Amino acid sequence: MSKRSSQPSRKAAQQKETEPPVRHKQWRLPVLLLFFVAVLVWATYYYGSVFQLSREYSFWVSDTRQLDFILSCSFGILRYVGRALLMTYKYPWLGGLLMAFILTLGTWLVGYCWRLKAKWRALQYLPALAYMGTVTYYGLDIFFEAETGYIMGIPFLVLLVLVIWGIMIRSFSRKKTPSFIKVPSDETHRDNLIQLVVCVLGFAAIVGFNELKRPYVRVITQLALMEQEQDWEGIQALARANAYQSNRPMACMYAIALVHTDQIAERMYDIRLDYDSLYLHGMDKTLNNGSSMYIAEGCYHGGFPESCMHSCMEQMVMQGPTLRLMKLYIKSALMRGEWELCRKFLRILSDVPFEGSFCKKYGAMVGNDSLVDADPEIAKIRLTEPLHDSFEGMYQQPVFMGYNLALVEGRSANALYNSLCVCLYTKLMPSFLERLEPLMGRTPPDIIADGILLTATKNPGLENKFTGLNLRIPRIQGFMQQIQPYMSDRPGHAYELFGKYKGYYPYYYFFGNLKATKKGYTGEVTSNSGVN
Amino acid sequence: MNMKKSLYIIIYSSIILLLAACGKPTAQVPAQFSLLEEKANIYPDYTDIVVPPNIAPLNFIVRDSLADAFVVHLQGKGKELLSSAGKNGTIQMDMAEWKELLAVSIGTEVRVTIYARRGEAWFCYKPHSFMVAEEPVDAFLSYRLIQPSYELYRQLGIYQRNLTNWDVHTIYENNREFDNKSNHCINCHNYRSNSSADMMFHVRANHSGTVIVQNGKAHKVQMKDSTIITAGVYPSWHPTENLIAFSTNKTGQAFHIYHDEKIEVMDESSDLLLYDVTKNEICHILRTPYDLETFPCWAPDGKTLYYCNADISPLLNLELPDSTRSHQLMLRYDSIYYNLMSVTFDPKTRQFGEPQMEVEMAPMHKSISVPRVSPDGRYVLYTLGDYGQFHIWHKSADLWVKDLQTGNCYALNEANSKDAESFHSWSSNGRWMVFASRRMDGNYSRAFLAYFDKNGKAHKAFVIPQEDPEMNILLLKSFNVPELTKDSVTLSTADISKCIYETEAENAKYIPNDATFRHQKPQTDAVTGASPKRK
Repeated sequence: MSKRSSQPSRKAAQQKETEPPVRHKQWRLPVLLLFFVAVLVWATYYYGSVFQLSREYSFWVSDTRQLDFILSCSFGILRYVGRALLMTYKYPWLGGLLMAFILTLGTWLVGYCWRLKAKWRALQYLPALAYMGTVTYYGLDIFFEAETGYIMGIPFLVLLVLVIWGIMIRSFSRKKTPSFIKVPSDETHRDNLIQLVVCVLGFAAIVGFNELKRPYVRVITQLALMEQEQDWEGIQALARANAYQSNRPMACMYAIALVHTDQIAERMYDIRLDYDSLYLHGMDKTLNNGSSMYIAEGCYHGGFPESCMHSCMEQMVMQGPTLRLMKLYIKSALMRGEWELCRKFLRILSDVPFEGSFCKKYGAMVGNDSLVDADPEIAKIRLTEPLHDSFEGMYQQPVFMGYNLALVEGRSANALYNSLCVCLYTKLMPSFLERLEPLMGRTPPDIIADGILLTATKNPGLENKFTGLNLRIPRIQGFMQQIQPYMSDRPGHAYELFGKYKGYYPYYYFFGNLKATKKGYTGEVTSNSGVN
Repeated sequence: MNMKKSLYIIIYSSIILLLAACGKPTAQVPAQFSLLEEKANIYPDYTDIVVPPNIAPLNFIVRDSLADAFVVHLQGKGKELLSSAGKNGTIQMDMAEWKELLAVSIGTEVRVTIYARRGEAWFCYKPHSFMVAEEPVDAFLSYRLIQPSYELYRQLGIYQRNLTNWDVHTIYENNREFDNKSNHCINCHNYRSNSSADMMFHVRANHSGTVIVQNGKAHKVQMKDSTIITAGVYPSWHPTENLIAFSTNKTGQAFHIYHDEKIEVMDESSDLLLYDVTKNEICHILRTPYDLETFPCWAPDGKTLYYCNADISPLLNLELPDSTRSHQLMLRYDSIYYNLMSVTFDPKTRQFGEPQMEVEMAPMHKSISVPRVSPDGRYVLYTLGDYGQFHIWHKSADLWVKDLQTGNCYALNEANSKDAESFHSWSSNGRWMVFASRRMDGNYSRAFLAYFDKNGKAHKAFVIPQEDPEMNILLLKSFNVPELTKDSVTLSTADISKCIYETEAENAKYIPNDATFRHQKPQTDAVTGASPKRK
């Protein structure tokens, strides 16, 4: 047995000696293809919501007359084309695919046009990474009071230049182009590895920066999109999952979701309400608290369609029409029975790519009050519409809070709860007390109950006018004792105590929203010129 | 024939067939059709109107969801015009043919027959008609385009449309690109006696001042004095003297929270001013603490100045500080009523007489604004609403006239709508009036023309024609302060921009006078509020 088997092995050994030595085969990956996949994932799943909301903050139709407001500005064509491309983000996978294609093709063309040798090919990824890095750096600023046409317009323009450049090179040179999908034949393992490292580091830096410095960007955009989709449960889940983040747009979207699920008096304080500053700039380039991201929505869902239309119109004056504003305007106009106005905006919106379903849904309601009232979202909002007319200026701003703060009669229990919750939110306990009468003899919702107990410390016996409060008394007594060491520096201890008292109104009363409390919740001063 | 060639032929034929199916049919009256009982639903409504003989084609859209092609047949006095449309129903008529049709049809009716193709069959709607008036309208219409809101402004401009064709000239546009340091508002454009030779408008905020264009040159002035409430606001050029009457208003806006009218524009105080353009001097015409005088308008002879006036003293608690005035008025905004007043003026001495009541509507809880005297001096056209003075936001606002010969006041029902009409002006021949109305959608005002016949009767109003009639829907801006002129503005946009951006406003010299007095209330008609007939 051993003799027979030893013959072939000897032969093999002899063969090995005669053949030239074979180098160990080293792996090489199709980095460009992987880059495409990574950009696709980034542009669709990771940052897709930001681009998708950017689309909602944009407007595009093929009729150039309607886009004169951008076409007559500098780089008008670029803005126009960029907005058109952004429309694909109605479906993030489609927009992401387009974005990935633009960036990857651009990357490949950079390598081709610059005639990058294999060892320098890692450089070709830098422009695309720089673009993604810039977008991440600007965060919400890419669409907030900004020209949305640049988001995809700039990479498209760069691609166009590169394509023309590439065609010119190709016209004069018949040199073989590097493969787009396969691993280029001139690349060594080392070249390939360098490219991979550059890409991985680039993506890591972009994602890391976003997670560390702009963690709220994706949360806010996702919440805003959920608001449009009326995904109230999704908003709550996302907001609570990011409870430590604190900004006004998030708080407003969360409150809207709670209003629609009748939980405003139960769960409002599950998220931190201290309002950290955002990296956000208005048209005047100064820091902005993002109020125009939520006031129109707040007014609409708060039962003030006219104030919503007012807010929408003010924003349209400054930024031109946007899909978001037009949709809010249509829904508000439906609530107010302004059919012709609805038809007008629906007609305009019908020319926007991929907006057919919205137009179909709300177009069917035009001229049909019963269909409008049957819409679940509108039906809920109707419950808190004002009973009487008055002027916005008579209330603290924003009006959806100011009105509720002054509410003396409402059309439903929802209106009463909203009013009580706004009183608690603004910590105006005398106003809160004045509105409690309809709840006497009943068990109030959790937050209102805690508000009553808190007020009862200065109004002995108040708690006896309600049922079901006794069980809560030990907790508030314990809380009052536990917080004593922290009372000397409430702002300083607010963050650390939030985890312990999350969702508990007395914590908010003493430790939450202190800056806003100090300043008072006042609206921004606006110009009063330009009546028409 | 090879395979490739056949394929090309099939593709090209398919494209041609597809285009033919989507496009317009041939503009010819169908050989066979069935008659329909109803009139066609056309947008804008150009049925049964009186049109000027020099107006641009009244293009329109036929709305019929069952039809996929349309033919329109217009028949005038021995002249015909045929036009067609595809599924979108947009009828865009040939300019030359239209002009010929109107030219031969002056003083007569034009019959409009519309055919619609539903499936394979043609149907004919009940025809409608329009009348071609003998008198032309002034060819040029100036207006401001602005979003129907509110407190902020960005891209707005004053334009001049040639009503006889589709030409639009930009008189001035403010900042296209947003620049906080240059952002400004422009408003209250005005001309002297329907001529663009003398023109003015205001610039507010940055680069502020009143731009006055005369003799082909623009200059900027500032009308400020401690006694002047703000600057000059609503203007009226004197027809013969180089003077402009202004109101000066402290205006504020309030936004309804639950009301069909979105905005209430209120004056907290207002007076009247007289500005001498030649001398660059300004003085008060009326300066009163509790009367709100506004919207001055000269009679064509220049010897009477009409204006609106509201006495707000009954609405104010005078014991409260003056700083609360705005809030007090806001609470009683629907109790502010303006009457139509007049004051005589001697152009030689430049002295004003005592204010006279022309139409007293306050006791009837109605309010007048924007008086405009017809070029023949016989009629005062004004807007009457339930309260206030900024009637373009009041759904109750309708056009009325006072016949100064008979003293009769009456509504121009044929021209009015359920929505707001205001900011009207006359054509130089007095047979046409143009005004802004929100009747199309309740929000975006459009410029409407209405014929005003020799008997003082207004006819059904129609929106000014657009090359693409759908622009009335697609345009997200309002037509504001339409003014008719016989000629076009000759000064270039660049020259006006240069004046605004590169020159400092020259301060007008204030000339103090004794302009503080209250009006006397004469007896008026108990029903119409009109003052006694003049002798």
